[in-house]
Amino acid sequence: MIKLFSSLRLFFALCLALGGVFVWQTVFNTGPSVYGSPWFMALGALLAANVAVCSGGRFKTASASFLLIHAGIVLIILGSFASRALRFEAELPLRAGTETDKVQSGNAVYRLPFSVRLESFRLDYYGEPRGVVTVMDGAGGRDFPAAAGAEIRLPERGVSIKVLRLMRDFGLDAGREVKDKSPYWHNPAAELEISGGGKKKRLWFFANFPGMHREEMPFHLFYRLENAEVKNFTSAVLVRPAGGPAFAAEISVNSPLRYLGYTIYQTSYDPAEAAYTLLTVTRDRGAWVVYAGFAALLAGIFLWLKK
Amino acid sequence: MAEKVNLLINLSFALSLAALAAAAAVYLFRERMPRRLLPGLLGAAWLALTAALALLWARLGRPPLSNQYESLLTMLWFVFPLSFYYYRRYPVPEALWPAAFAAPVMLGVAGLLDRTARPLMPALRSDWLILHVLASMAAYAAFALAAVAGAAALARRRCAEDEELLLRLTKAGFAALTLGIASGSVWAETAWGSWWSWDPKETWSLLTWLAYAAALHLRRQGWRAHKFAIMLMACFALVLFTYFGVNFLLSGMHSYA
Repeated sequence: MIKLFSSLRLFFALCLALGGVFVWQTVFNTGPSVYGSPWFMALGALLAANVAVCSGGRFKTASASFLLIHAGIVLIILGSFASRALRFEAELPLRAGTETDKVQSGNAVYRLPFSVRLESFRLDYYGEPRGVVTVMDGAGGRDFPAAAGAEIRLPERGVSIKVLRLMRDFGLDAGREVKDKSPYWHNPAAELEISGGGKKKRLWFFANFPGMHREEMPFHLFYRLENAEVKNFTSAVLVRPAGGPAFAAEISVNSPLRYLGYTIYQTSYDPAEAAYTLLTVTRDRGAWVVYAGFAALLAGIFLWLKK
Repeated sequence: MAEKVNLLINLSFALSLAALAAAAAVYLFRERMPRRLLPGLLGAAWLALTAALALLWARLGRPPLSNQYESLLTMLWFVFPLSFYYYRRYPVPEALWPAAFAAPVMLGVAGLLDRTARPLMPALRSDWLILHVLASMAAYAAFALAAVAGAAALARRRCAEDEELLLRLTKAGFAALTLGIASGSVWAETAWGSWWSWDPKETWSLLTWLAYAAALHLRRQGWRAHKFAIMLMACFALVLFTYFGVNFLLSGMHSYA
């Protein structure tokens, strides 16, 4: 059995098997992922055993780089098993002003040793978005800056377009009055008055629906935004540990909050609701084994390169 | 400034094509003059590319690493110094032929890609972007050179003589790929909450890593010379799928590339 596990042929066979699994899963499989299946984990365990026995058998004569590289690989695989067994992940959806210590993972609800209250949520843009009215006809496309009160003349068509109102996040209140639902550019819209042939028409054009009113016009007219890229989205929270003072924190993409072994990530938001955030809470007690494996592997690779 | 960037890239392309012509002249006609010109032409091409990338960085206000066009140029940037490093060790024109071939091909492919520069999306706004992408592109550059050098060695029936070069390029690529995977994993934990998600890009990077590990072990088992060259070319096909195929054919969290 030791001879089998210390065989390089086993390593090559495992590489082929794992390669086949990866190709199958990523290219062909449309069903559940195979990565959590017992047989896939058995392949991983077998690879760890193979690498461990192969390198263990050469422990006395092998170089430091050899031992570090192979120990690193074994640690990474063992760490992945530990991570899988010990990892906790749950969702924490919050609306501004609400506070909870309960998080949801699938159908299960867990209680954290602290509560989280969403004070506010904000979107940061790289710059102030600019509205643009685009006219497309047989002559091509022409862009015009959209500012409230601006007038666009199309003399060849005998048409003028006046920009009446611009909305960042178009919505209707209870009285069917137009209002901005949030300060964010989620549903940008422009009210345009189109005059021509003695007639006037007022229409709303929405950046998210450029095909609207296409059949009503002899040319294609649509409203769009420039410079509207989101830079980051951030939740300002108040964390209240059980029996301790509360503290404020901000959680944004690439800047999670780490507290009491838990990590809280800014995962998503809802464009339809400005004061909503979706956070993810994780705790992974196996990750440190993986990182130790990466460190050993990289140290070994560095020494191996110097040879 | 965009025009200056394009001008410099076009200049780099022209110089790379001239280097390819010089390499062809040396190979076909054993000409002496192109032999002396080859390092200079490649060096000038690299300088033009360096200037283009520096200007692009200044124009964007961030490292040019966020989409396929930018990362391909970055990968190409690594091709030149890797080639010169080995040219110093083996000062024969053959050591520069892989770069003379790879450079115009990569610049040509880059010309077909979308060059639209966009601000970084929130998930990419991290200092890990630089280490992760640079390490990955350095790896792909080394593997590309190894594959082209392997093909050239096979064509010239010099696999045994060129094996040292192939091995060193492969080791450099393997080390860089390991760093790219490790740094990507640490970044993924910070950004997405999980150090490994079996994202298609992650999976194919791992597959590529395993393939090169297997190739290096097979070489130790005696699969040398032309067998090693063929393995490197086969492994590079995996690199191409990891870099291009995953982006265009499979969806995942790396789709912004």
